[in-house]
Amino acid sequence: MANSGVGGGPSAGTLHLSYGPHVRSGESTSSIMWQVNLALLPALIWAVGVFGVRPLLITLAAVLGCVAGEQLFCLLQKRRTTLTDGTAVCSGMLLAFTLPPGLSPWMATIGGFLAITLTKGVFGGLGHNIFNVALIGRAMMMASFPVAMTTKWIPPQLGNFFPPDALTTATPLAILKEKGFEAALASFYQGGGEYDYLWRLALGLRPGSIGEVSVLCILLGAAFLLLRGIIKLWIPLSIFAGLGLVSLLSTAPLLHLFSGGVWLGAFFMATDYVTSPSTPKGQIVFGVGIGLLTGLIRLYGGYPEGICYAILLMNIVVPALNDWFRPKRVSTMGVPS
Amino acid sequence: MSLSLSTVLGKSVATFFKGGVHPAEFKELTCQTPIEQLAAPKQVQLHLQQHIGEAANPVVKKGDVVLRGQLVASAVGSGVPVHASIAGKVANIGRAPHPNSVEGQAIVIEAGENPFQEVEFPEDTAWRELPAADMLSRIREAGIVGLGGAAFPTYRKLTLPAGHKVDTLIINGAECEPYLTSDHRMMLEYPEQMLLGAWLMARVIGVNRCLIGIEDNKQDAAELLERKIGELHSSLAPVKFEVRVARTRYPQGSEKQLIQALTGRNVPARKLPMDVGVVVQNVATAVACHEAIRYKRPLLDRIVTMSGMGLNQPKNLRVPLGTGLATLVAACGGMKDTVVKIVAGGPMMGRTVPTIEIPLIKGNGGFLFLTKAETYLGDFQACVMCARCLEACPLGLEPNRISILVEAGHPLDTAEHGTHECFECGCCSYACPSKRPLVQFIQVAKTAYRRDQRLKEAAHGK
Ligand code: SF4
Ligand code: SF4
Repeated sequence: MANSGVGGGPSAGTLHLSYGPHVRSGESTSSIMWQVNLALLPALIWAVGVFGVRPLLITLAAVLGCVAGEQLFCLLQKRRTTLTDGTAVCSGMLLAFTLPPGLSPWMATIGGFLAITLTKGVFGGLGHNIFNVALIGRAMMMASFPVAMTTKWIPPQLGNFFPPDALTTATPLAILKEKGFEAALASFYQGGGEYDYLWRLALGLRPGSIGEVSVLCILLGAAFLLLRGIIKLWIPLSIFAGLGLVSLLSTAPLLHLFSGGVWLGAFFMATDYVTSPSTPKGQIVFGVGIGLLTGLIRLYGGYPEGICYAILLMNIVVPALNDWFRPKRVSTMGVPS
Repeated sequence: MSLSLSTVLGKSVATFFKGGVHPAEFKELTCQTPIEQLAAPKQVQLHLQQHIGEAANPVVKKGDVVLRGQLVASAVGSGVPVHASIAGKVANIGRAPHPNSVEGQAIVIEAGENPFQEVEFPEDTAWRELPAADMLSRIREAGIVGLGGAAFPTYRKLTLPAGHKVDTLIINGAECEPYLTSDHRMMLEYPEQMLLGAWLMARVIGVNRCLIGIEDNKQDAAELLERKIGELHSSLAPVKFEVRVARTRYPQGSEKQLIQALTGRNVPARKLPMDVGVVVQNVATAVACHEAIRYKRPLLDRIVTMSGMGLNQPKNLRVPLGTGLATLVAACGGMKDTVVKIVAGGPMMGRTVPTIEIPLIKGNGGFLFLTKAETYLGDFQACVMCARCLEACPLGLEPNRISILVEAGHPLDTAEHGTHECFECGCCSYACPSKRPLVQFIQVAKTAYRRDQRLKEAAHGK
């Protein structure tokens, strides 16, 4: 039918009929997620470099848990597998990045499995979760394994791939909370100039969660995502503005800005599309809210670190922010003179 | 206006206020080669409905012998007439496949011995001094419609209701749809006719300013027109012509967006360009109006871009109206087996056609033969709220939320997100990484509102 009278051409009935547009951009949800996963690798490599191979095992274990949870829901709902879209792997990596490097890997598997099934699976899968999947995983692990989650820190040592199990320490923020600034500094660093501790923080030579310690590695990944147009700066900058403001009330504002999980959270967790607002204005309010809450939890709350709960709390108001801060309409602006 | 990268770099290129996308252009397939005259077809099927408005009424009957250019169907109501595009014999008047709907009434003409034998169209030496009303009626009698694709009768667009004052005519040479190059070739090959046609249209609506909008991927056309404006200076007075280069960004060539880019004026939702003092006409329409007023020559041919990786020899063809698409395909060396979609129009707003057994109508500026690699045939996923569609929408609407509500079965809750304002440009669907058919979701919502309206009216006994 289609090719009558003309040589060649598609055989009858193979032509597709559809609405436009008939061309689409090259970016897909899965290409975006795999780029995010790629951007997380520098921080993971750094973690192996300073904490040994265990962080790698923990990451693999968390990814395994997430992937198992995702696949389970695909089977239950008789859908094609969604593992290739990269989101489950991403959740697993991000969850592992928030965990102490000395943890037993099986705990991460349980955390990952629960995170995916309870946060995403039961809500209807991709795009339907209210809360950041990785952070819910971490919160549930805090509740399930409180001791391990708060004590299994390892002092960083470059190139020591198999540190002894017993060698545990505490994070600077935890010590800061209990014993003050000097003690916090002494926990990862002795001697040198007054501000030399800052480059150790930037580089990642301090105890902390797997993926949060190296500001530089996180920035490397973030810069890639920014250049690729995958994330925008509104949320991270607003978080730092909010946190910076509260930190002025503390004895160690710089230590606050450069430690804990705020860099990881600001660039990789708060920017999660599904659980963050859509417009720049909404994103600024969201970010400032996270920054303020993080600071308040750190200074006045029961935990040394607040970014995880701050993001989860702000996740709740995302639908409201999307209603309050709509894109600016071009079509109803009226006639300019 | 916002500070764009190009302004920062000191190279300010006009563009519309917000959003837009830049798909791969594929213009290089056809933009370099001159327009080719199609050999006379053996038969044409002239549809009575080739424009927006009432269908034309046949004034010939089966067996009549007609010359090219002869009236075969007269205008009804606010519609326009149809003319024989080849000389020959009327073989039939009846149902024929239509590119935009399934079928329609058409006059079929079998080519005679000399298919290009025309009615004589001598030049009217007084063409420059004609009163506006006469110019307007010649445009109507020539059967001219907007050749940019809308096919709205041109004489109507040039008739300003009392009380409307316009100060600017915009000639739309943006051609922002990928692949299409017929307007580009037209500007390169008929620059004088286009400028004189624009001049005539400016006289008709009584304005002394004419802006020609061209995207910056057609610098050669912009430069040529600049030069011609200089050469024709005395013939074009008192109308001041200006070529305005706009950024290559879809939908730059959409009327309201082009008005934003060229004049900074914003046509509000549900209003017309004339409400901000502007009339927009397409390049090919201007050329046709020149012929109509100067020679009383009706619209008989049109330039068609035949393109896509699925076509053996992509090119621009000059084609008598009513020619079967199959004849055009044959003139382009045939299709490849790999064609998966045939699109009438551009890839962003064009519609697919199921077959090449359809005759050309006035609004058909291009046909694309797309292979799998060029188009997207896969599934779509859930919305991940990435906001790319919000950034892409030139109107600031929320296609993501409309689509989610439609999916959830609430199409009648979508108005606040812009259902009625959407002009279906497709930027949102293009940008969506989840490949969601957002335009289609919006169409579903629009249909639901229309049905709801009808039901309400019925309930009130209207
Ligand atoms: S199709 Fe409608 S909603 Fe989508 S970008 Fe165009 S105007 Fe906006
Ligand atoms: S572009 Fe697609 S996935 Fe992103 S917000 Fe819009 S509809 Fe959702």
